[in-house]
Amino acid sequence: MEQILFYVFSGLAILSAIGLLVNVRNTVNAALSLVVCMLSLAVLFIMLHAEFVGVLQVMVYAGAIVVLFLFVVMLLNLRGGNMGAESQPVLKLVGGAVAVGATVKLATLLDRPLKPWADIDPEFGTVAHIGRVFYTDYMLAFQVAGVLLLAGIVAAVILAKREID
Amino acid sequence: MMPNLDLSAISPMIFVAVGAILLPLLEVLLARMIERRRSWLGRTVNREMASTAIVIFTVLLLVLALLRTVGTFDLPVAHFNLDHPMIAVDQLTRFLNAVLLISAILTVLVSSRYLADIGMDHGEFYALLLASLLGMMLLGAATDLIMLFLALELMSIPIYALAGFQRSSLKSNESALKYFIIGSFASALLLYGCALLYGATGTVELAEIARGFDPENPLTLLGAALVLVGFAFKIASVPFHQWAPDVYEGAPTTVTGFMATAVKVAAFGALIRVVAVGLQPGAEIMYGVFWWLAVLSMTVGNVMAIIQQNTKRMLAYSSVAHGGYMLVGICVGTQSGYAGLLFYLLVYTFMTIGAFTVLAILTRDGREVSRIDDLAGLHETHPFAAIVMTLCMFSLAGIPPLAGFWGKWYLLTGAVERATAIGDTSLIVLAVVLVMNSAISLAYYLRLPVVMYMREARGADRPDATAGALQTTVLWVCALAIVLIGVVPGDFLILFGDYDLIASARVAASAVSP
Repeated sequence: MEQILFYVFSGLAILSAIGLLVNVRNTVNAALSLVVCMLSLAVLFIMLHAEFVGVLQVMVYAGAIVVLFLFVVMLLNLRGGNMGAESQPVLKLVGGAVAVGATVKLATLLDRPLKPWADIDPEFGTVAHIGRVFYTDYMLAFQVAGVLLLAGIVAAVILAKREID
Repeated sequence: MMPNLDLSAISPMIFVAVGAILLPLLEVLLARMIERRRSWLGRTVNREMASTAIVIFTVLLLVLALLRTVGTFDLPVAHFNLDHPMIAVDQLTRFLNAVLLISAILTVLVSSRYLADIGMDHGEFYALLLASLLGMMLLGAATDLIMLFLALELMSIPIYALAGFQRSSLKSNESALKYFIIGSFASALLLYGCALLYGATGTVELAEIARGFDPENPLTLLGAALVLVGFAFKIASVPFHQWAPDVYEGAPTTVTGFMATAVKVAAFGALIRVVAVGLQPGAEIMYGVFWWLAVLSMTVGNVMAIIQQNTKRMLAYSSVAHGGYMLVGICVGTQSGYAGLLFYLLVYTFMTIGAFTVLAILTRDGREVSRIDDLAGLHETHPFAAIVMTLCMFSLAGIPPLAGFWGKWYLLTGAVERATAIGDTSLIVLAVVLVMNSAISLAYYLRLPVVMYMREARGADRPDATAGALQTTVLWVCALAIVLIGVVPGDFLILFGDYDLIASARVAASAVSP
């Protein structure tokens, strides 16, 4: 059962990722392919018992980010044709070669056994566990992320505000 | 359950963080007071008073942080969270923080007048600057990949916005957008590298990564390579440098000065820690990479700088070349190599900020000096600025006895020492390339003094600008630092008594050296 689900969703993830590339002229379709890809990845995460990451994947990527993409597409009224028109064939070729090379290389890496990890606590990755380490072990990272968000907001306001006194 | 925290360990960072959080509020408060014509100390609050208050507040926090950093330099290693240290406040961190704080203080002092000149006198500038500074201070201290990435982002995101701070200028917009896209790309590569390293070693802590580092495992190598590429983008080393000239040219001049110095200091600090601790077992493999990066950065940077007509673009390529010199210290990879690099970072900060300060002073009503030829006859109109610019150029070129010469000297002696110790000729080649490049760089560094002193001011397209008192102070500080460090590089006399800068750099470097 688990194996079947794994193959179904990883296949779906790969297919939708390819769909994303093929649909480069139709931006809305491409964005929707991205949603499918992200959702399939979320299922894979949940199957790996990383429920929290799975939920975040749905909320942040499939939710917020793709919605943002769609808004940009709609607001700017991007039509196919003017996208990717300026890219040069040489660059496309080089980019494609690098992508294929990297994929093949990464695929061959999978033959090697990964370093076995220490026994993982069944608690690991649950929301309760993450919540606990967030406010203890990763206290500083949590605070820094807060300052980062503040800086991001200040930066966005100063750059985008229509008129500054 | 309560984590075991030591706030005093990170007190300089807390000062900076407080500033980053309070400054936007202060700006709003002051804007309100101006709007409602409130008076303070018997005078109606106006924009000038408001910006003075903001600058005083910012500089006060930064000076407190600097005093605290320098005052605690000799203390043993401290950690913020004793149960799970993500940052180490050791001599390296304190040294880097001191240099970063100096760079930030000088930038703030130059900026108040400059921002008014370009019509963007807003307190958010300082808030973003401090947020970025906080990221830089954490970046040099990070001993954990999660902290490393967060700090890198906290450093970069405010800088992207600062590059586009002059909203009315198309070039500034272009600069911000270009920096943002390239910078995000670099961050993504670095993050992917971190993820692969985590996958290969099962940990995010640098010391643990070193233990699990298997040079035979391609996953580890790929991770290490991507992390290094991310850093190479941040320090603008060839071939990852193409963004630098456009970004440096378009960004507001004082931001460019900050970007050219502080970002380099923080990124090199983090690079030392990553290379000397986390990726130490792969040092031999990485040596070749750094060797080529160093040679290419020095050569391409210097050759491209010769053909530039725009002052900021020329300084951008010069900064690429200086990144190459600094990479020599990474190639050497011993304590004296790292100490030379750290000393170079300090010296480079004064020289570069000095040069950009002169350019900032020459800005008026949004118009700035762009072409090198527009500096003609500067000694007639701005004699002191011309002297400081000349000092900075001579120092950047490495002419003795100025500070820049000693920076190169310590890098060179480090390389030669190491080369004779292990009998490696490639390091000698590197040293020879460094010397040759210093000679090449004279071609464009000397051009500025020639233009400033030997050509008539007539015909130069230059706005009629005068230096503010704070800007003149910065010029004095940079000039004195360049000369004093040059005359007494060993025992550098600063306000706090006899202080041996080289020894401090050595101590800082020993914090990470094996």
